[in-house]
Amino acid sequence: MSFLSLIGIELKKIRRSKILLILLIPVIMMWIPGIINADMNFDLRGIPITPENNFFIQGFMGMVWFMIPATLVICTVLLSQTERSNKGILKMLSLPVSTTQLCLAKFTVLLILAAVQMIMSIGAYYICAAIVTCTQNYHFILEPLYVFKNVCSIYAAAIPMAAVYWALSTVIWSPIFSVGIGLASIVPSVLMINTKIWFAYPMSYPFYLLMVAYGRAADGVYETQIHWLPWLPAAAVITIIALIAACVRFGSSENR
Amino acid sequence: MSLVIECEKLKRTGYFTVFLAGGFLAAAFPVVYMMVKAEEMTSLSGNPMDILMAANWQMMAMLNILISICGACMMYHTEYADNGMQKMSVLPIRQENMFFGKFVIAALVLSAMAVIEMAVLSGCAKYWFQSYVFDLAEILKIAGFQIVVTLPTVMLMLVIASACRNMWISLGIGVILVFTLSILPQDNAVLSLFPFASPYQIFSASVENSRAVLFLAACGIETVLFGIAEVVYLKVRRCFE
Amino acid sequence: MNMIETQNLTKIYGDFTAVSRLNLHIRKGSVYGFLGPNGAGKSTTMKMFLGLTQPTEGSFHIDGKTYPSDRVSILKEVGSFIEAPAFYGNLTGEENLDIIRKILGLPKSCVDDALTLVGLTEFRKRLAKKYSLGMKQRLGLAGALIGRPPILILDEPTNGLDPVGIHEIRTLIRSLPQKYDCTVLVSSHLLSEVELMADDIGILNHGHLLFEGTMEDLKRSAHAAGFPTDNLEDTFLAMIDEDNRRRGGTI
Repeated sequence: MSFLSLIGIELKKIRRSKILLILLIPVIMMWIPGIINADMNFDLRGIPITPENNFFIQGFMGMVWFMIPATLVICTVLLSQTERSNKGILKMLSLPVSTTQLCLAKFTVLLILAAVQMIMSIGAYYICAAIVTCTQNYHFILEPLYVFKNVCSIYAAAIPMAAVYWALSTVIWSPIFSVGIGLASIVPSVLMINTKIWFAYPMSYPFYLLMVAYGRAADGVYETQIHWLPWLPAAAVITIIALIAACVRFGSSENR
Repeated sequence: MSLVIECEKLKRTGYFTVFLAGGFLAAAFPVVYMMVKAEEMTSLSGNPMDILMAANWQMMAMLNILISICGACMMYHTEYADNGMQKMSVLPIRQENMFFGKFVIAALVLSAMAVIEMAVLSGCAKYWFQSYVFDLAEILKIAGFQIVVTLPTVMLMLVIASACRNMWISLGIGVILVFTLSILPQDNAVLSLFPFASPYQIFSASVENSRAVLFLAACGIETVLFGIAEVVYLKVRRCFE
Repeated sequence: MNMIETQNLTKIYGDFTAVSRLNLHIRKGSVYGFLGPNGAGKSTTMKMFLGLTQPTEGSFHIDGKTYPSDRVSILKEVGSFIEAPAFYGNLTGEENLDIIRKILGLPKSCVDDALTLVGLTEFRKRLAKKYSLGMKQRLGLAGALIGRPPILILDEPTNGLDPVGIHEIRTLIRSLPQKYDCTVLVSSHLLSEVELMADDIGILNHGHLLFEGTMEDLKRSAHAAGFPTDNLEDTFLAMIDEDNRRRGGTI
């Protein structure tokens, strides 16, 4: 069986799970304060940034530091619980499919769900920017290229984190521990981002990228250059280790 | 009686361990923070506890909320996962008592978490601030306030968890609520009374604004209201099953 | 005297009638076999007795009491086992029963008694989620039998058991009324099974009660209606088939 059709099967398994609704609501919620307090975007408090950039970055801030990791945790719960609640996993393991492929297919579904949320957030951004442009008589809509580039890089930066969460949910059998650790790991990323070892903490990657975008849009707020060197290898190593751990443990924990 | 039973149901789920670990993790924030920024902090004027709370409570409160969400989801996950709930519904007990048993446990473990956090905070104050004088009454007052303002959140989350068979839905709703209320403006007096927003309030700040009584009263009322809502919900649900 | 009695009990889900104008009479101290093919409405009826689902129309009395006013006092008297076994996977078999025991306010010895009754004593320290299907079934039964309640409602209690287990449970159910004077309502889709356990039989198809009475009555009325009577399984199949044909069903 090809990997693609396996992904198709995994997507079918989460039908009617209401997960899209759970992905959509925060995307809408994150822009409501932005629309209500649109005039605040002109009150820059001495930060040299244009109102349209301010609107974009402030809007995505909560999303990047809290909602993306939290969504990933929820999705891992969804993926593991749909298998376990009615012992579906036992059936899957008794079919001629490699467990590694199965594990990676599930991880791909996790990434697809995150991608769906990203696309929704871009859509929501443009709708809200258009609304604010009308209400404030000021052009808030940023170039698509800039928006897409930023959102795509944030998405790419979330992949190592997704791998870590996926590994957590397969390695730690008890859902309360994997969820608890997952949610608790979100909180310190605000601190980690300001330390020298931020690159060792995957939960802070998307936040870091947005802060760099902030730094570029407003002088002196944060760094303007991405430190590729310790980051890229560190991210790659973390992702690979997490995925290997997930694949090794995926079958064995169910086979006990 | 129902408390003992509810405790027994949580055996081997890791529930108590998670709260203990969460308490220590939250308590680690001020320690790490002081290790990094000791000079900056000790040069500030004011009550050491207030300085520490102002610097760390946002994150600690968020961790408390997240762990409470996780705990509420877990409590009802054990009920629904193997149909235990169904057996309970054919036994001569009131569903309401089961719910309030769960709430009391959740409130107690939250209190344990808060006590751990306050103990470590006062330890930090003692270690880093020369001017600090240990005052048990003050610590208890702060801890009590922070627990009470978190109670509506705990109650509401249990109501949500009791309504959802699938853990990811209750978890999703909880996380969305945390997110929504954390991006709303914090200085708005009405919004800060909402569950999921009230836990971020700090005792000393609310005393300064003479809002402490308001917060305690509002949170007490909210907790009771959500409790009543659950009782009504259970009655309605029984009619539709 | 009837322990359980229903008057035109009806349950409708949307446009599907699960149970239609049912009038059951279950004598005190008897084993009542509730018979019908899958999806006939047996479980729905039993769920209504336990307050798990509300009747759309009609009413019923259990030991002279009714829902919803006497919910708690009915549940105190009824031991039940419905569909898939319901338990807490993170607890051992013994702990699961202990929770039920505490709620019912029974003495500690009841747990051992129930475990012995269903033959689970050996595995009482094992986590319920690690139980085999048959053991889960036995745990569910133990949860119904604990404290020896005066009324037992058992939904297909022998599902998933091995032949030895089926025999054991049947013998157990058969012996219960003599052992401690209780009334048993037990459902099954096998007439041969009900024949071995029950004093009275009720046959249900598509929510309608086709027959109610003793085994002798069944044979007599089947003979009168021209159904085969030498093999009871054939009698049952012929009755169901005849009923289905009358409703224009294709089964």
